[in-house]
Amino acid sequence: MNIHFKTAFDYIKRAPFQALSAISVLTLTFFVSTMVAVLAYSSGNLLKYFETRPQVIAFLKNEVTPQDVSALQNKLTADERVKEVRYVSKEEALNIYKEATSDNPLLSELVSPSIFPASLEFSLANLSYAEDIIAQVKKESIVDQVGFTASLGGESTLQDVVSRLKTITLYVRIGGMVLVGMLGAVSFLVLIVIIGMRMATRKGEIEILDLIGATPKFIRSPIVIEALIYSFAGVLLGWAISFLFWLYVTPNIVAYFGEIPVLPKGTWDFLILLVIILGAELLIGSLLALLGSMLAVSRAKRTR
Amino acid sequence: MIQFKKVSKSFGTIKALEEVSFEVGKGEFVYITGPSGAGKTTLLKLILREYQPDSGEIVLEGVDITKLSDEQIPEYRQKIGVVFQDFKVLPERTVRENVEVSLAVIGVAQEAWSARVGQVLKLVGLAERADLFPNQLSGGEIQRVSLARALVVNPKIILADEPTGNLDWETADSMMELFEKINKEGKTIIMATHNKVIVDKFKKRVIKLKGGKNVGKEKVHELEKEPKKEENEKGEGKMKVKVEEV
Ligand SMILES: Nc1ncnc2c1ncn2[C@@H]1O[C@H](COP(=O)(O)OP(=O)(O)O)[C@@H](O)[C@H]1O
Ligand SMILES: [Mg+2]
Repeated sequence: MNIHFKTAFDYIKRAPFQALSAISVLTLTFFVSTMVAVLAYSSGNLLKYFETRPQVIAFLKNEVTPQDVSALQNKLTADERVKEVRYVSKEEALNIYKEATSDNPLLSELVSPSIFPASLEFSLANLSYAEDIIAQVKKESIVDQVGFTASLGGESTLQDVVSRLKTITLYVRIGGMVLVGMLGAVSFLVLIVIIGMRMATRKGEIEILDLIGATPKFIRSPIVIEALIYSFAGVLLGWAISFLFWLYVTPNIVAYFGEIPVLPKGTWDFLILLVIILGAELLIGSLLALLGSMLAVSRAKRTR
Repeated sequence: MIQFKKVSKSFGTIKALEEVSFEVGKGEFVYITGPSGAGKTTLLKLILREYQPDSGEIVLEGVDITKLSDEQIPEYRQKIGVVFQDFKVLPERTVRENVEVSLAVIGVAQEAWSARVGQVLKLVGLAERADLFPNQLSGGEIQRVSLARALVVNPKIILADEPTGNLDWETADSMMELFEKINKEGKTIIMATHNKVIVDKFKKRVIKLKGGKNVGKEKVHELEKEPKKEENEKGEGKMKVKVEEV
């Protein structure tokens, strides 16, 4: 084994409680970070789902040409009050219908593509524009009827839901960031304190190494390695615990939200999300360790 | 190989060395002698660049080492083997590991360690004690760990600060025989000592310090008497410089 790794492990073995406290605070930090990252991701998804739901559907006449459709689509896209314009062809409309009635094959077999008109769906930047825009779209020659789907049932409109979700998402993100930031700061401090203690116990050794011609890098290496070991252990443990948690609750969450894709649909996609989070955490963990050990080492030099 | 040119070093009001000049040739074995407090350790520390002189030049193989930058110091020190007065072995590492650290410091590949460490441990007679910790060794053995560590890097110069200081005469003798053997292999050795018996027995050139000044180069048998009492009593206070021609 490399001499620096050996030195680092020797010191960890000699002070197991220091190692334990460093690893546990880092584990807690990265556990919470992983939770917050997944929550931020899924609340964002939830918000996006409602934001991008079509609020207005303009059903098109049967005989429209693609040129007419794209002309209208461009016109709507250019309108600042209108968002997320999407063209739904007859076939797509049929598929949507079929999916919705999949429990009842009889219903789906009764229909042919021709009954479903193609449509342009879009949502509005603000519901107060609805009346104007609907009136305007109705006048278009290729538009047959205009449907307004903003009402979700009860008295709440889609707009209400979206704005409430926006607030919640914001709180989740800010709260999560503050929590992670505080935990990160505490881990950093603990790391610095422990590295500082290590420097103090190694003082004699450091002086000797210096006199026999060790470079500063040589002297620093075991200390940096030790800090990296703590951080990686913290990241892996924190992430793994969070991973188990999500593994356990995901089926319930997916069942609860149904068609709303709060979490990635496939297990595979969810794994990719978690692996990306792990990668980011390893990066942040190594930065914490490097920064912390450099700081402790440079401080020790100044006091020597 | 080494030249001191009017080197002075003081600590506050204490003049540890005053305009010391001498020269040591390649492959030479010289003693730095003088009473306690004469500046022997300070002189060796100057060679190691642990201290910077207040004035003067220290030239080693044509390079004025007082002008080395901080970044150049590690590489410079790697060329020097030191047997410290207080051993400076790593207490939490075995004999073998203590010696290995030296090799790691100069960047020798790990595969080559075992052979080189085995060889020096055999030379200093510690082969059977390779896996013991310093606190399991006798004083003389620890001294030899320090020597093994200095030797293993194959340095050009060996500095030894009172390497026989804490040893009984028998052990000291065997230590000196080791140094002579190493010197015969071509290494330059500068040894600080106040042990008259040693200096008398193993005759080498002597560079004598007294109150921070060097007072000439004499042969062993001409060496002046041990430190006078009045000087010792002055302790760490200002040392009155006495130049005695002997
Ligand atoms: N780091 C230091 N700070 C202050 N005084 C020192 C220091 N090192 C040595 N001295 C003083 O310099 C003088 C020479 O010391 P030293 O070189 O250790 O003598 P020796 O090794 O010959 O016994 C002594 O008076 C000692 O007290
Ligand atoms: Mg001394």
